[in-house]
Formats: sequence, structure tokens, C-alpha cells
Amino acid sequence: MNRPIQPEPWRAAIQRRVFLRDSAYGLGGLALAGLLDPRIFGGSARAGESSAKPGEHWRGVVRPTHFPVKARRVIHLCMAGGPSQHESLDYKPLLHRLDGKPFPESFTKGQQLAQLQNKALIARGPFCGFRKHGDSGQEISDLFPHTARIADKICIIRSLTTEQINHDSAHAFMNSGSILKGRPSMGSWLLYGLGAETDELPGFVVLTSAGASGLQPVSARQWSAGCLPSKFQGIQLQSRGDAVHYIGTPPGVGVDGQRRSIDEINHLNGMLLDDRLDPEIQTRIAQYEMASRMQASVPELSDFSSEPRSILDMYGVNMPGDGSFASNCLMARRLAERGVRMIQLYHRAWDHHGNIEKGMTQAALEVDQACAALVEDLDQRGMLDDTLVIWGGEFGRTPMGQGTGRDHHILGFSIWMAGGGIKPGITYGATDELGYRAVENVVPVHDLHATILALCGIDDARFSVKFQGQDVRLTGFEPARAVREIMA
Amino acid sequence: MSDARIRNGSRRLWLAMAGALLIALFVGAGQAAEPKPAEPTPDKVEFNRDIRPIFSENCYACHGPDKGKRKARLRLDVRESAVKLYAIVPGQPDDSELVNRILSEDDEDRMPPIDSHKTLTDRQKDLIVAWIAQGAQYQDHWSYVVPSRPAAPSVQRPGWVRNPIDAFILAPLESKGIDPSPEAPRRTLIRRLSLDLLGLPPSPEEVRAFEADQRPDAYERLVDRLLESPHYGERMAVPWLDLARFADSVGYHGDQGQRVFPYRDYVINAFNHDKPFDQFTTEQLAGDLLPDPSPEQLIATGFNRLNMVTREGGAQPEEYLAKYAADRVRTVSLTWLGSTMGCCECHDHKFDPFSQRDFYTMAAFFSDVKQWGVYNDYDYTPNPELKGWSNDHPFPPEIEVENQYLKDRNAQLADRVRTAAAAAPEDEKLAVWLDETRAFLKDSPSGWRTISATVDGSEAKPQPDGSLLMPPAVKSDPKEGWSFRTEAGAGWVARIKVELLPHEINGGRVARAGAADATVSLSATIQSAGSKKGRPVQFFQAEADHKEPRYFNGEVVPGVLNGWRTSRALVGEKQTAVWCLDPPIELKDAESLAVAVKGKGAGCVRVSFSPLGFDLDGDLTGDLASEAKTAIEAADAKESAAVKTLYQLATAADAGFWERARAACLEIAAHPKGRAFTLVTKAAPPLETRVLPRGDWLDRSGPIVEPAVPHFLPHKEAKPGERLTRLDLARWIVSADNPLTARVFVNRLWKQFFGVGISSVVEDVGAQGEWPVHPELLDWLAVEFREGGWSVKHMVKLMVMSSAYRQDSRQRPELLDDDPGNRWVALQSPRRLEAEFVRDNALSIAGLLKLDLIGGPSVFPYQPAGYYANLQFPNRDYVASAGDAQYRRGVYTHWQRTFLHPMLANFDAPSREECSPARTVANTPQQALTLLNDPTFVEASRVLAESLLRVEPNGGDSDEARIDQLYRRALARSPKAGEASSLLDFLNDRRGYFRTNPDEADKLLHVGQSPPAEGLDPAEAAAWTLVCRVALNLHETITRY
Repeated sequence: MNRPIQPEPWRAAIQRRVFLRDSAYGLGGLALAGLLDPRIFGGSARAGESSAKPGEHWRGVVRPTHFPVKARRVIHLCMAGGPSQHESLDYKPLLHRLDGKPFPESFTKGQQLAQLQNKALIARGPFCGFRKHGDSGQEISDLFPHTARIADKICIIRSLTTEQINHDSAHAFMNSGSILKGRPSMGSWLLYGLGAETDELPGFVVLTSAGASGLQPVSARQWSAGCLPSKFQGIQLQSRGDAVHYIGTPPGVGVDGQRRSIDEINHLNGMLLDDRLDPEIQTRIAQYEMASRMQASVPELSDFSSEPRSILDMYGVNMPGDGSFASNCLMARRLAERGVRMIQLYHRAWDHHGNIEKGMTQAALEVDQACAALVEDLDQRGMLDDTLVIWGGEFGRTPMGQGTGRDHHILGFSIWMAGGGIKPGITYGATDELGYRAVENVVPVHDLHATILALCGIDDARFSVKFQGQDVRLTGFEPARAVREIMA
Repeated sequence: MSDARIRNGSRRLWLAMAGALLIALFVGAGQAAEPKPAEPTPDKVEFNRDIRPIFSENCYACHGPDKGKRKARLRLDVRESAVKLYAIVPGQPDDSELVNRILSEDDEDRMPPIDSHKTLTDRQKDLIVAWIAQGAQYQDHWSYVVPSRPAAPSVQRPGWVRNPIDAFILAPLESKGIDPSPEAPRRTLIRRLSLDLLGLPPSPEEVRAFEADQRPDAYERLVDRLLESPHYGERMAVPWLDLARFADSVGYHGDQGQRVFPYRDYVINAFNHDKPFDQFTTEQLAGDLLPDPSPEQLIATGFNRLNMVTREGGAQPEEYLAKYAADRVRTVSLTWLGSTMGCCECHDHKFDPFSQRDFYTMAAFFSDVKQWGVYNDYDYTPNPELKGWSNDHPFPPEIEVENQYLKDRNAQLADRVRTAAAAAPEDEKLAVWLDETRAFLKDSPSGWRTISATVDGSEAKPQPDGSLLMPPAVKSDPKEGWSFRTEAGAGWVARIKVELLPHEINGGRVARAGAADATVSLSATIQSAGSKKGRPVQFFQAEADHKEPRYFNGEVVPGVLNGWRTSRALVGEKQTAVWCLDPPIELKDAESLAVAVKGKGAGCVRVSFSPLGFDLDGDLTGDLASEAKTAIEAADAKESAAVKTLYQLATAADAGFWERARAACLEIAAHPKGRAFTLVTKAAPPLETRVLPRGDWLDRSGPIVEPAVPHFLPHKEAKPGERLTRLDLARWIVSADNPLTARVFVNRLWKQFFGVGISSVVEDVGAQGEWPVHPELLDWLAVEFREGGWSVKHMVKLMVMSSAYRQDSRQRPELLDDDPGNRWVALQSPRRLEAEFVRDNALSIAGLLKLDLIGGPSVFPYQPAGYYANLQFPNRDYVASAGDAQYRRGVYTHWQRTFLHPMLANFDAPSREECSPARTVANTPQQALTLLNDPTFVEASRVLAESLLRVEPNGGDSDEARIDQLYRRALARSPKAGEASSLLDFLNDRRGYFRTNPDEADKLLHVGQSPPAEGLDPAEAAAWTLVCRVALNLHETITRY
């Protein structure tokens, strides 16, 4: 039975096989969903493509895109903890006047509360002033003077709503459109759908920073690929130690030793491939090449010496790579330049249940300059046009006070967006006169997701993956609406 | 130079080969792109095989079981509805509206509608038309029909059939004219079996023995040996722990630690002892409801507590109770029913007959599980049961159990201490110590002697029993003290005991009036004549018999060195704590020991000392054990090993001994007597369960429901007025009329040994799943499982004994077109090892893996620094395990749900936040980086290299012999000539490098905790480390062929 192998027909046959099945061992639910795309699980098995170079980056399942692509990449500035809209982007004179008085029950009856459960509800006016800025006259609080400077470049949405009132689940909902585990995060969806533009860096990168107060934990599940293969998960760049886990060559091995080791591994794997003709081996070889390229490019990425002082000053970076939000913003631009599809920056600093005056003033100080600098820097490099920047928390905060702070709030809160096909200098949607509930042009999180996907060229309704028998979508099961009104 | 030339030459060759491959890719691609001729419509169209998948994917969303979304009141999943509304006119496709609509050219008319983004292929349309023409016969869904045992088909090659599995596999192959693959070589078989059954590679000796075993039943003997190995349970536990969502942390928000490792031991033991699966099921779901449940049966109920829970500030208890309930429904339905009931939280299932009500009646079974929505004491949702709970508090209900691993481990540690004592140099002082100790015990047979109270201006009053009593009137003050002092020249002091005594002036309590407890600390100084200031003594450990535990991140902080707070519950009883000196001291002539007890709330305090050290049996506060006393008093005590150990522990005479013993004692003291806590299910009066409209927990308008199994599956009706329990659920799950349980389990098992399930979507055997490739085989296996007493080992053995399993795994070009997924099983499917076994395999090849004990608490392999920086409440840092624990199997790795160990995550292990029936298998650069750079794998390479260099392989100490040995250890085979010569070139190249860069060699040889081997040439060891690292990175090494 052990007939000698005829290599050429074998190889041809294998490539057909690769085309027909996934390239990993065993069929998963994905394969049966009709997504018999070999590249889902590996990087190299790409027969049937215009180019068959092993190791070339993943090119996405949405090809051609459903809509024209406005945003080629997304930078999501996650203000983790939930910043107060009442002291940032949503000014309510009436709330100011009601400060310290009972909050009208007609607004709050039967609604969900977090730490204000079973408490008397007292209105809390904004502690800072608001002014109109730029030609557009957008209202922005005095805590964000730099953001005010870019008022004409951003679109403010004052009518966002979410379904989850606690940090953990609200982050999950904001990132994956669901609180169920196993749902891919936004970045994973974008990478899966649109592919990567770099094979030297991960296509979805996450950085975190911590403020002086108002900290809440954030979980790696927020950048999980869920039911998509792990190659689509967000890779967290670490502020301590190696930027990417296991990116550093072990002590004593040396650059040359590492290169030679990888050559040797691939050489021996190549012999195995000749013997067994298993396409998974070919993929493995490509992954070692890609690992090698990542090892070379990550240190270059983290080397800020090419950034002039003027740029560092623009972002307010004291020490490049110090793990501050400002440094992370500069890193976000560098990642964007290098073709990373999705970049998420978490700044854990906004959970101001108490002492909001001091806490939020400080948090604003930590992010304001760098956020504006990022938008301006992208703009001056001609990248803002196709880079979508999103600023906002997982929810907002109550117009009612909680002692010296504010509680979580989900019925109406504010974010801003810029670049990537967003109409600049406009404010969209509104809350009621006390800033309690979004009442005009309400944007649920799923509509925000549909909007982001649409800007990236994807119709959310046509973008799903089969998981446990269901067509899972970022925008959930009910139809969502991309907010065309804010698109340029 | 010549080495480099050879190297370059071989690289050129490789590039040329790669080039050829690229061309082949193009050719292959071109061929693949050509459309294949459509598969012909079968003569007899079957609803289940041909039609149901089309309807389910394209129609049921609007014309299926979900009444909320149903359009035009038409159901296509029920024949009656479809016929009544003329969607289907049996026998007359032209009159059937369904056919008109799917064939319509009009975008408005055509089904499926445009906005569904679903389209039917021509073949699918043909099938529907043909099926209606043939009479449109529906069939019950295959998995909802109770399986009966089909007869094994007859085959032309009965010699290939070792058991009925083979007949079911061979018959369809023969009908297609396909031969099965030949049996794999023995070395492949033993590696396959070892990796499949144990998750460990065979040793070269085992491979050699199996290859040489001429007995006709050699293979079966091997299978039996592996099935009897205790490591079988460790391997089989992994997929079950994925289903059970077993983890060491709670998952939500602060992701605090939870105490539940005994559940993992339960699972491992259950597989090792082949606990029948029906019993295994019942114990996990309802062990607490069994009559007079054993500790083991209670531990099993941890299953129901492994859902994620929260203690986030501001979380609403009701909302989270709804989340927990939903998790349990999803977990039970995926694990046992292979069904995705998750979507029924909000609406009827779109594809299967599960209703929304079924979801909540299933949830109602678990409404008696004692739990809290938010495990913290917040003032805005006060709950008297949670009084005093913080972010560090454990997650009750828990029980305290005796854990076999901890008992075995303590015994092992004690043995090591005894061995170290035996190895300590002979010491003539032992005789003196023995005499003194005998004299001491004559006066103080308990091993303890009271230390006299000192009256030094404190208001404490000496009592007749040697204690000091603080009058209740004295203001309780942390600086308040009770002072004691030994007589001069009292001899050896190894331990100091503090007893807090109940006293009548304190109402018979150990705490003074007004105090609920006492918090005390202890310090001691050696006082010598002529010196005012004493020399402080150090302690390495202190523990109390009763205390208010202090918690950090869900665990008890061991010991009372940083303060002892007495138990409030036992405030009326004597409470004792003992401090162990580091090292013990000898009070000579003019020296005495002053002991100061300080703290709040204590009343009557007595202090004593012992010349005997730590009790290796873990009795930390008791009197001297009778065995120890007997040994000391025996005539030949001087020669006794027991006395030698007692002597060393009492005096720390040998510094090397003391260093080792102290670490061992600390570990024993952390779990004295092997006690550990574990989450369990405790039944409480059931909470009300309502159907939540759209899953909205705030909506209280839905009907209240009682526990019930899914309405459409076979079951006995409950008696009127009877409320079903978790025990009823478990019994229904494993009852003979349940069509799903046995099928779902054997299907997953098949996937484990053959790469793909017989129905490939193991998590969904409903309409959206896959019609099984070998339905009769699946049914036969399911019936065999159920009727064979639910023996998992029996099923495993059947599968691995089959000829089908033993086939070679080489690809067969002639099958690639027709069976690209190897679903016909004409060969074995190669399988990449799961994350845990990637690590186990490497460590085992290196000889680093610690396999001696089974079970136990989670361990902490090396992990990149700062990985937990985003975790809070409490903040915590990851400390890699030291010693043996660093090298335990992957199944024991600490499972932090929000930040899973990156090595596990990179190799596709699930976070276990949710029931996970199937792992994805990716092939990523992160995997390459892990195998290349994770210190675990670098250390394994180094230790492997060191052992290759230390042992002279058969065939001498040549490089070639060592490379041969390396391949035998890593791959159970010898290298091919090309492989060996390539590695030799690489070795020589690196050898040259490290000879000229000795510092670099030194750095490499210090990766990992295990000390570098002595007596080896560093350049040689470093060069071989890189060779071994290449071997551990090979695709073949992490693949089971």
C-alpha cells in the first residue's frame, strides 16, 4: 500500500484541497458556514488568489467591499470608566440651574440605576463652563481646551445609548455588540472583514494607560476574537517588558542566532512538507517567517527617536514609551502609518462616583492635548481623511449627583468622531433638557457599529459569521442603521 | 568556513524547492478555480439529509419555530402548515407556492428575500423541486429520535474489521471503491496513542519495547497500560474543563480568585476511575441532592458554580442573577444536549423546536442554587448575608475538604525533609540534645513548658496557671502588653505557643468585654546578663488553631505572622497559636528569652515554649506527637532516622538542611492535613423564575415557570403539584429516552481521536448542525455507550482499538477531491496538540515535567511581566511558581479568565468565560514566538541539551548519536540523513559562535529556575540548547500524526 509519492500531482492536489477546506486540522463551525476559506486559520495557504506568496497578510472576507471605503483604519480612544457628558460635550443650562435640587421623578421612574439604587436623586449641574468653538460653534467644556481647538474637525454625537450599566458588560457591549462571550470585538471584525495591510505587525493593536483616579479594570476579552480564529484577536502592546509577548529573543541567542534558528526550523519543516505534503506545515513555515518579521519591526515601532521634539511636544509626551496616554497616542499614529487596521487606546481614568471635580479635571488633562494632537498630526500627514478616530466611554454619567460625583448612565451620552468619512464640525442628536435621556436622533451602540462598518465599506447586515448555529453580527440580530447624516 | 558553505548550499536547495512549490500553487489554484460539475440530484431526496439544511439556513428564520418572527403565518418546519397554506403541494411542484417563489425572476417576489442576503443555488432549487415531486415527506430531525442499535454492515474485507466501528467505516469506503490506508508504523502508533490518551510523548525506551513486542496482543496491552495510567485522567479532563468553564477566577470586572481546584481533581479522578458517565453527570448537576452525599459528590456540584460572577460596585443583583441563570442554561444545553439554547433567552429558537419558555423552565431547575447576584457588601443594596464582604472575600457557599493531592504532597515534602536530615552530616551534639530533650519531656511530657509571666509595670496580673490576666477595666490598646520570660539557660527553643484563655471575668470569653475578638502579635528577644538590649529572634511561620481569616483575592492569607485575630465564633473557647523560630535558638547559661505579646482585646494570655520544631504531620498547634516521643525515648534513639529529623528540625544544626526544610514546612503549613476549600452547590428555597420578554430582566410581565425539560424532547410528565429538581433533570439527561446525551458525548469523543466529529458541529446537533457522515455508526456508538454502562474507557478503547484509528495519517492524493475533510476516514487525520499538551510534550521530552502526583492547586508557569497591570480590586501581581510547581502539567495552570496565560491563549485555549465545546485550531506567528522565546520552552531546550550531554547515548558520545537520541525523544523516530546533517551544520555553526562568545552562552544557560548543569562546557551546552530548541519548535513535534 505504501506507494511512492509523486510529488507534483500531490502538490497540485493539495492545493485544491486547501482551497476546499480550512487549512487547520479538523473542520470547525466556521468551515461549515460556507466560509471555506483556507486563510481564515493560517497565513499562507492562499491558493486561488492572484498571488500565492506564502505568508502574505490576510486580505479579508469582504472583497470587494460593499460600499466605497472611507476609513481604512480606525483609532478608538476608549475613555474607560465612562466620562461625564455633562462636563465634556453636552451642556444643559437647566441642569445647571437645578443644581442641588431634587431630580424630577418624571425622568427617572422605572429606570435602571447603578450605585444610586435606593438613593434620593439630586440634580448635579456641571462644575465647569462650556463655550462655543471654531467656525462650527460646537459646544465643548473648558476642561478640554485642545479638543476645542479641533472643534471644526470633529463630529459630536450627543445621543448615544447603550444597554449595559456596569463597566465590564458595557465595555463588552461597546466592543462586541453583545454581552455574550465568544462574540468577536470590533477590531477583530474589521480585521477579519477587511484584512491586514501589514504582515510585520498585528492588524489589531491595543494599548492601555491608567490615570490618577477613577480607575476600573479592563479585561483582555474586550479585544478577544471570540468565535473567530485567534489570529484576529487584538494584540496588547505592553508598557513593561517586551512590547508584544514573547517578541524578545531569549538572552544569549542573539539576532543572528535567532535568524539561523528560524532558518533551521523552516528548513527541517520543509523536509517534513516534502515527505507528508500537509499544507498545515507550509502555513507553519510562513508563520515563522512572519514571527521573524515581527521581531524585527516591533523594536523599530517602539523606537521613538525618529520623532522630532516638536511632535513629542505637540502630543505632550514627556518620555516616549512611558505608558502614558500621550505616548500611546503617538504610538497609535505610528501604528496607523504602518498599516495596522484597528488601534484601541484604553485610558482607565473616568469612573468618577466621587470627587468628580478633581478627578475629571485631571483625567481631561491627561488626554485632551494628545487626542487633539493625534487628529491634527494625522491631518497634517494627509491620513485623517482615511483614518476614523472615535473618542468616548462605555457609557456616560448621570445628571444626578452621587455625593461629590456621578453614577453610571446609559440612556444618553456623548462621543466624538473625526476623519474617515465623518462630516466635520457638526453636532448630531440631543438629550432632553436635563441631559437624562437621548431624545433626538438617538444612536444606539449597534447603530454606531453599523456606522463604523459602513465607513469602512462594510454593510453590517451582510457581514456575519456562523457560530453555534447562528449568524452572528457585530450589530446583533435586529436590523441596525448606519447614521448617514454624519457621513461626509 | 566550509560549514557556512554547506549551509548556504542547503539553503539554496531549499529556496529552489520552495520555488517549485509556488509554481505548483499556481497550477493548483488554476485547477481549483474551474467550476466543478454540479453534483447530480439523488434519486431519492431525503428531507433530513437534503432539504432540512437548506430550509434551516435560508427559510426558518421567518418560516420556522420562532413565532415572534414568523411571516405570513407560514411554517416550513411543520408539513401540516406548509401544505395547508399551499406552500407545498405534495407531488405537484408546479402548484407549490414555495417553488414559484424560489424560482421567481422578480426581485420582489423571490424567496429568500433580497434583504436576507441569502440565495439558493440551482442544485438546492432542484432538490426542493424533486423532493416535492416525490411527495414532500418530512422526517424527524435525526438527533431528536432515540437511537437504536443498527446492525453492523457486511463488508468484503472482514479481516480489516476489528470491531463494529470498522464495519461502519469500511462498508461505505468499499461501496466507493476506496481502500482504507495501511496501518501506521508502530513508532507512529505508540506516539499517537500516548499523545491521544495521556497527552504525553512515549519515551524512547517505550517506543523500542513496543516495536520489539512480538506478542499478538501487543497493541491492546499498550492501550490497556495507557488507559490505566493516572495521566489519562489529566488528559481527558481538559475538554471537560472547557465545557464546565473551569477557571480560577470569577471572570467579571475585578476577576477575583475563586477556590475550586478540588473540582478539577474530581474530574481527573472520575476519568481515571472510569466513573460511569450517568453518575458523573448526576453528581455534577445534583450531587448535593443525592441521599447522604459524600464529599466527592458535593465537590462535583462545583460545576453549577463555575459561571462567571461579579462583585462590581453598582451592579444590580437581579440583573446578574438573570445572567447567571442564562449561563447555566447555555452550559447544560451545550454540554449534554449539543444544543444552542442560548438564543431562546430572548425568543423562540429560529431553527430548532426549543421555545423561549424552554429556556426559562430549564433555568428554573437551577433557581435553588444558593448564590448572590453581586458578591459584595454595598450600602445601596444591603444584604445581611454579605455583611463585611470585600473584594478579597471568597465566594461561598464552599465546603472544606480533604484533598488527596495535598495529603500526598505533604507526605512527599515530609519525606524530603527526612531524607535531607538523613543526609546531613553526623553531629555529635545530637547526643547532648537528646539527653536534654529527654530531661525536658520528663518534666513536660506534652512537649511544652510554660514561660513565667513578668510583672513589669503592666496592669496584667499573674494567675496560678502561669497566665497573665489583663483586667477588663484597662483600656484596650494595641500597645498593651503581656510579658513573659524564661529562666536563664533554658536550653533549646524552637517554637513559642500563645494560648488565649477564656476567663470568667470576661464572661468566659477569650476577648475582653466590649471586644468581639482579640488581635495579637508576638515578639521575642534573647536577653543575656549585662546587656540591656536583647537580640530579637526571627520566625518563619506562625499559625493558629482558630482565627478570623484574612483574605487576599479570594484566598486565605496563610499564617498569623502578621497578626492573629481570634475566631469570633469560638470566642468562648481556648484558642492557640504557635510561632516557629528561624532558626531555633539555644539559651545558654545566663541567657533567657523575653516574650512580648501585644495587641487589642485579649484578656488572659499564657505562653509556653518547646525545644521541638515543626511537626511534619502538620499538627501546627498541638502537643508533641506520641510517635516522636516514643522515638526520642527509645533505647537506640541515637541511631534513629526519626530522631535525626527531629534533631535537625529542633536545632537547624545543618544550614543546608534548614534552607530546604523551612520551604517544605511552609508549604505543609499552608494546607495542614491537606485541607482545602471548594465552591459547591447548596440548595436553598428556589427563587421565582419568570419568562423574561426579549431577555429583559427589568420586564416582570412574563409568566412564572416551573422547572421542566424542553417540551418537544421525550420525557415523562411531572406529577401534578410536583416541582422537578436538578436531580430530575440529571436523571432525564441520562435516561434511555434522551436521544441527545449519548450521541453528543460519543461524537465529541470521536472528534478527539479522529480529528472531526461524525457530525462535525459538535456544539450543535440541531438543524443548523451537520447531518452525520456515518449516522449508523454514531447511533451504534451512542447505544453502546448507554447500554455498556456509560463507560468512557470502554468507548475510548473501542475507538483506539479499531483499524480505522490505526491507519496511517499520510495524505492520499486520490481522495483530496472527493473527501477533502477526510470525513470518510480512509486515513487518520493529523492533529495539532492542544495548548496544555504543547507545553507538557516539550517539558516531558526535556525530562522537566513533574508527573509524580495527580491533582492539586493551580500553578503559575513563567508569564510575561506586567500582564495583570489592568486588573484591579484587588491589584495583584503574578509570581511564577518555584520548585516542582513550575514544572507541573498544563492542566494545572492558573486560569485567569480575563487575562489567560499568553502561552495558552496563543495556542487557542479558551478563556472559559463560557462553556466551550470546541477549540479553534489556528496557526499564527504568536505560536512561533511562544515556542521560540517563552522561557518555558527555552528552559526545556536547555535542560534537554544538558541531559543529552550528560548521558552517553547508545552508539557513543558523537554528535550524530546525540542528534539521533534527540529525535527519538522528541519525535519517536530517528532523523533522516538530510535532517541529521542539517542539524549538525547548525550545531557546528552555533558551537563556533558560543566558543567565541562565552558570555552569551552563560546568559542562555541561565534561562529558567532550574540550575544549569555542572561540569558541562558552556559553549557546548549552549550550542546544543539551540539545537534542542529547533527540535522543540518543529511542526512535527507539536503534531500528533
